[in-house]
Amino acid sequence: MDNVWASTNKLFFKINPSLKFLLISSLFIVYLFVQNLNTMIWASFFFLILYYLVSGLAGKWSFWFVFLTLIVSLFSASAMIMFGKGSHIIYHQSLILITQESLARGLLLGLRTFTFSLIGMIFATTTLPVPFFYSLMQQLKVPVRYAYGCLAAFRMIPIMAEEFLHIRQAMRVRGMTRQKGIKPLYERMNRYSLTMLAQSIRRAQRTAIAMEAKRFSMTERRTYYYEIGWSRIDLYFIVIMLLTVTLGFVFAAYFPLTPFTNVLDH
Amino acid sequence: MSKEKSTNLKLNLTDILVTIVIALVFGLVFRLMGPVYDLVKPFGLHLDALLYGIWFIAAPFAALLIRKPGVAFLAETAAALAEMLFAGSGGVINLYYGLLQGAFSEAVFAAWRYKKFSLGVTSLSAFAALIASIILDAGYAYLPLLAGWNLTLYLVFRVIGSILLSGLFPYALVKGLEKTGVTQSLRPVTKEDYDVLN
Repeated sequence: MDNVWASTNKLFFKINPSLKFLLISSLFIVYLFVQNLNTMIWASFFFLILYYLVSGLAGKWSFWFVFLTLIVSLFSASAMIMFGKGSHIIYHQSLILITQESLARGLLLGLRTFTFSLIGMIFATTTLPVPFFYSLMQQLKVPVRYAYGCLAAFRMIPIMAEEFLHIRQAMRVRGMTRQKGIKPLYERMNRYSLTMLAQSIRRAQRTAIAMEAKRFSMTERRTYYYEIGWSRIDLYFIVIMLLTVTLGFVFAAYFPLTPFTNVLDH
Repeated sequence: MSKEKSTNLKLNLTDILVTIVIALVFGLVFRLMGPVYDLVKPFGLHLDALLYGIWFIAAPFAALLIRKPGVAFLAETAAALAEMLFAGSGGVINLYYGLLQGAFSEAVFAAWRYKKFSLGVTSLSAFAALIASIILDAGYAYLPLLAGWNLTLYLVFRVIGSILLSGLFPYALVKGLEKTGVTQSLRPVTKEDYDVLN
């Protein structure tokens, strides 16, 4: 996984994770009420630029990630484009009916999904689990038991991956992977899922018992190894986000690319 | 007796950890299913809606396993958070969907006061999560603006998918897990268990 990150030293890694989380989640509310196709076009454009500037992913990964996300987002709007209601017909063949209204609505939906994915990726690629959960405990007062539970769970991912490989190797040694048909496939799936779930549950139980044995307390006040605080960078972050969102709205007002200012009308 | 029961049903550290680990596993599944779901979409017949049900699985599965209040909500929310941290498609949207779906799923188990965990109740909880997703989709994805026949097809497929993938499937999985014996130590002690001792 090390080569996935370009550098964990970039600006966005140093933002207070709770602030980043809250601000980014609140953007959902902002764009949920946008019905102007132009705003969505410009917003996705500016967030794309922002993503390239701040993303923690290495270049090659980053490009394919964005590309796939764009394709997938437009796919997700295909139903609305092909089967939406509307009166100005562009294309009509049997069940498929593409109208100007449904096309505009579909594009808006696709771009909205794309923008949210980009915002989500800005968050996901610049946030490391450990500071994130520490910050949740310290700034947002998330109960320690849940945050530490998540931290412990994240530590188990590599173990689960290893376990998956072990099961596969064991199956290969016994010739299970060569059997074809529905029944052997079902058998394999069964063995993967049940074994991994049962082992994960047992591991979680053991971890919980070990934590309690070491006097992990669910209620009392505690101190933290990492103290997550605030800095000037948090202020920069707020300004950058506000600027990106405002630019989207301003450009939509002064440089409208399409006539669809409200896709719910017509 | 009633006091003892209430402390009995409180989540302890083991319950929380097990729930979160399960949620993380499902978060990974959600993340991997995301692209699959989007790729079947362009066929237009809403085959994607059949797959939609998988996103409700964390809540009923965890509830069946641990059988305590709050588990379903915690599992679905944590799974959604995990999906967001794994940079799943849709990003922050997932968290809102997860919160609401978890709450609706939880409400069904709460309606039976966490005493009944049959196949029917599990399916109903999947159905409740489906209602939650449709409420959000009506605003987010403009569902009412789809052509009538298309919307109907969509809703029917979603109901079938959610009952199959988040009702029957988790029920069967937990039944399988019961055979391995791991579930015994997770569930709250019942009256029957005490009766065995007497």
